[in-house]
Amino acid sequence: MALLEVRHLQKVYTTRFGGNTIQALADVNFTVEQGEYVAIMGESGSGKTTLLNLLAALDRPTGGEILLNGQNLSSLKEKEISAFRRDNLGFVFQDFNLLDTFSLRDNIVLPLVLSGKTWRQMEAKLTPLAEKLGILPLLDKYPYEVSGGQKQRAAVARALITEPQLILADEPTGALDSHASDELLRLFDSVHAEGQTLLMVTHSVKAASHARRVLFIKDGEVYHQLYRAGLSTGELYQKISDTLTMIATGGVRHA
Amino acid sequence: MRKFFYAKLALINLKKNKRAYVPYLLTCIGTTMMYYIMLALSKNSGLSQMAGGTALMSIMNLGTTVIGIFSFIFLFYTNSFLIKQRKKEFGLYNILGLEKKHISKVLGYETLFLFLATMVLGLAGGILFSKLVFLLVLKLLHFEVVFGFEISLSALASTAILFAAIFLVLYLNNLRQIHLAKPVELLRANAGEKEPKTKWLLAIFGLLCLGGGYGISVGVKDPLSALSLFFLAVILVIIGTYSLFTAGSIALLKMLRRRRSYYYKTNHFISVSGMIYRMKQNAAGLASICILSTAVLVMLSSTGSLYAGMQDVLTTRYPRNILITNHDSTSSLQSGEMRHLADETAARLGIAIENKAGYTYLSFAAAQFDDTFSTDSSLGISAYDKLRELYFLTEDEYTALTGRQTSLQEGEILIYPNRMDYPYDTVNLFDFSFRVKEVLKEFDECSLSAMNIASSYYIIVPDEAALSRIDAAQREAYGDDASNIESFYGFDLANHGPQAEISLYEALNAAFSQTGWDGFIESREANRNDFYGTYGGLFFLGIFLGLLFLMATVLIIYYKQISEGYDDQARFEIMQKVGLSRAQIKRAIHSQVLTVFFLPLITAGVHICFAFPVIARLLPLLNLHNTPLFALSTLICFLIFAVFYAIVYVLTARSYYKIVNQGGQAERM
Repeated sequence: MALLEVRHLQKVYTTRFGGNTIQALADVNFTVEQGEYVAIMGESGSGKTTLLNLLAALDRPTGGEILLNGQNLSSLKEKEISAFRRDNLGFVFQDFNLLDTFSLRDNIVLPLVLSGKTWRQMEAKLTPLAEKLGILPLLDKYPYEVSGGQKQRAAVARALITEPQLILADEPTGALDSHASDELLRLFDSVHAEGQTLLMVTHSVKAASHARRVLFIKDGEVYHQLYRAGLSTGELYQKISDTLTMIATGGVRHA
Repeated sequence: MRKFFYAKLALINLKKNKRAYVPYLLTCIGTTMMYYIMLALSKNSGLSQMAGGTALMSIMNLGTTVIGIFSFIFLFYTNSFLIKQRKKEFGLYNILGLEKKHISKVLGYETLFLFLATMVLGLAGGILFSKLVFLLVLKLLHFEVVFGFEISLSALASTAILFAAIFLVLYLNNLRQIHLAKPVELLRANAGEKEPKTKWLLAIFGLLCLGGGYGISVGVKDPLSALSLFFLAVILVIIGTYSLFTAGSIALLKMLRRRRSYYYKTNHFISVSGMIYRMKQNAAGLASICILSTAVLVMLSSTGSLYAGMQDVLTTRYPRNILITNHDSTSSLQSGEMRHLADETAARLGIAIENKAGYTYLSFAAAQFDDTFSTDSSLGISAYDKLRELYFLTEDEYTALTGRQTSLQEGEILIYPNRMDYPYDTVNLFDFSFRVKEVLKEFDECSLSAMNIASSYYIIVPDEAALSRIDAAQREAYGDDASNIESFYGFDLANHGPQAEISLYEALNAAFSQTGWDGFIESREANRNDFYGTYGGLFFLGIFLGLLFLMATVLIIYYKQISEGYDDQARFEIMQKVGLSRAQIKRAIHSQVLTVFFLPLITAGVHICFAFPVIARLLPLLNLHNTPLFALSTLICFLIFAVFYAIVYVLTARSYYKIVNQGGQAERM
């Protein structure tokens, strides 16, 4: 059984004064297997962010369903959603979304604090994780005291500390320089190698070329997909570029 | 056309920022109204001509000055807050192509519009409400109601000029802020704030100051030292409050954060870390609110109790209806003649008098060092809290007054301290040493010391000879400043109204002035209006300033909540993404807002409790000995204040939730 199943997902926004409706997602179908590393690409306004918000249960779809481990997200009650998000999903955002009132340590353990773990449990998880991500010496610093790459590593640590089923990353390299981007992508590779399922929404061809599979979204539908299937990162990079050019110029679709 | 454009832009800006500007405008209008009303009252021709009006006038003048100064500080504070909030907007204009001089023009129009609105509404409101307030004052002061409607043109003009000046200064300050800043700085949101440092020294210093202030208040025993130490205590408490709010709160929060088992719990985690930042930004504001609230409460409760206890005050100050004091009973008018003249005058008017008391005494001041009294004037100001007024009476006078036979021996005395204990066996004065035969528990004839600030001792000596010896010694010590042997005569009227008392008072004055005596006559009724003028005026001022301070408190809190709402919006959005549920967010917000909001009120409550002893010691100076009344008045004032405070809390918390929740909705779009 797939870890994540998205079936006929549809999202229609109604503007504030009624009348106009905007279809952000028309009919999205895809699945993500346990241990997969999937990138979703698309231009601005293609519905990427809407899709991610729906997957994160931050918003509710107007049609279709999302199943995570067989559990339908729409069937969750408002009260259960937060706990569900905390226990099953990990988030990495473009702008890090670290809280400036907390030290990196406190930012990372935030989800554990919210689920009511004891300090001993938190520490047991935090130390090896921080060590792996190379931020152990920075734990007492505040977000404004460290670099963007370090902030993003702290954000990754926060996403990983709950050992989630699925990591959702929204343009994780968007605010990083090329060096820090490379580092983060290598980090994702190694996390993936350990069996973590990753779903990344991105603009960046380079970021997408690290994934095992790339989905392209256009006008609210999955328009095309590429499998890595033995290609090197460089070859996949080339293929993605070609596909993007093709989509932009209105080529054939192979969904 | 261009001119029109700037004016229009200014109007749009005000409308767009109405959440911030409506309360600001209301405050401007409110302060204008209050200033006008107070000024108009102080210029009111009817009021100044009434009995007790002069005292009232000086109180009103004081009030006008206080309101003027306070309006300025307060409007300056809120205005700078508003401008800080709008910096981003100005930065955007700057980038869109408006030069700073254009922005200045827009700001100028904004200020002008605000000023015009303030003047029109504030003065109109002031004129309308001044009549109401005038009636309230008359009622409070037990003055007769006069009809008619008075508009003070000079007060209108002064108010307009003062507020024009205030608005001009505010405008100039805004320009300074805009010109100093670079567009990029204007645009940039407040990113990454440094965590506040723990200032242990300041926290400990604050604790010591507060402890010192409280200690003075609790430890003070006699009114005179209460008076002199009161302001020291107030200053210590103010310093203590500010340092504890700024440094102490952060030290405490950081201490909590270090206790991991406490800190890493959902509720504590969010509120402790949030509070550390909140306290950094708000400590000074909260401390100010606390001090203001305390000031309001002290003012209202003390003036309120004085006003409510007016009858007590009058009977304490004037123990008998008519009090006659003759400064020199040895020469111009002998004691017996004085009584006779008074009785005769009363009989002539057909007024029966009763409860008569008359005696001759010697009184002078001396500094008390344990059981020794010194008249050394070189002690100067340093000994002022040791200063005692001594009243010497002979045993015969005492027996005549009280009916008690005591048979004092040579060198023996009785002593009655009016406010404190006398734990010694002897009294040493000049070269004499007297043995205290008895410390009297009560002595009803303390009319003489009723108006004294210093504590007094009544000393009963065996005979005239002893009194003369003391008199001779004090004449030698004081020289030209020496006292004479004086005499006193007081009595009540039997079943006659206030009118009879006042006519008797006038008749006595006429009769005594013919004798060419050196003395004065007091009447409880004749002075009643003066007291109402003073205490009623103070009470009125208390209410009026209380309202003003309350308005200030409300506005400061409101703006704090609004600005924090915007800061917290982003924070709670992130937490929600990480898995904080709506209910948890609500709980976290609730506990933070509640703490920030009620910390000043609770601290003010503690301040009031500790201020109570020293004020209770001060009130006797104003002739109020009724401590339970003061306690009741304090309690009522605190409750009323707390109710107002709670209403403001509910209103501000609502707009705060709205702002924080808006983030959640915007994100969903």
